[in-house]
Amino acid sequence: MLFPLTVVVLAGAVALLAIAGWYAARTRLVDDRLLLVAAVVELGVLVQAAVALAHLGSVPGDDAETATFAAYAITLPFLPPVAVFLALKEKTRWSMGVVAVAAFAVAVMTARLQQIWNLHG
Amino acid sequence: MADAPRSTRSGPGIVLVAVYGLLALAATGRSVLQITEYFSRAPLAYVLSALAAVIYVVATIALARGDRTSRRVATTAITIELAGVLVVGLASYLATDAFPDKTVWSHFGSGYGYVPLVLPVLGLLWLRRTASRPASTAQAAGDPTG
Repeated sequence: MLFPLTVVVLAGAVALLAIAGWYAARTRLVDDRLLLVAAVVELGVLVQAAVALAHLGSVPGDDAETATFAAYAITLPFLPPVAVFLALKEKTRWSMGVVAVAAFAVAVMTARLQQIWNLHG
Repeated sequence: MADAPRSTRSGPGIVLVAVYGLLALAATGRSVLQITEYFSRAPLAYVLSALAAVIYVVATIALARGDRTSRRVATTAITIELAGVLVVGLASYLATDAFPDKTVWSHFGSGYGYVPLVLPVLGLLWLRRTASRPASTAQAAGDPTG
């Protein structure tokens, strides 16, 4: 897996988590800044999915690990759009909770992808 | 409509729906993998894992819909979920052989940061809280979107 890409996605997810927490504290709703960061994360996970699927053959470990790897890579790009959609519909500070949950999930799943990739050096 | 039930998907409920959705996804994915790749290793654990996945999917949809029937479905699903995580959590410590690797509910959901243990409690509390809204609590809550 491209390590710099993982770093970009992780940084974006952490930034999104921080913005969501900050907005929730200030009772602010989805705005351009949040959408922009979410878009960067989305772009990152899309590239990540393409790279991951292109290198499926060289995933270390058994079939189960390959399947997990592919499932995570394919699922990830769905998270930011769904979270943003739900957050746009919910006009209370709780909308930021949805964004935070999604950002956290993106970070965990991306870290897990990298972990599987690193299994055997 | 003063005593109409509050929507289960607005306010804190939307976060609950999001977390349930995520767990539904994770549990379904893991369950499909376990059953297709190595079912014979621990049939009981993997059947329970599949049950957990179904429960999470049902709970997510029911909480997101939130009408009267959905509310009943959600309450039933989440109650089974609470019982499941407690029973499977305990069983995974007592009968380690039957639970060789992590499932959503084994070890009280430790593989998922104990979210599976906390979530049904929050879910049931939320269903209770939104069940009816007497005028006094509506005012006390001061929620303009309620």
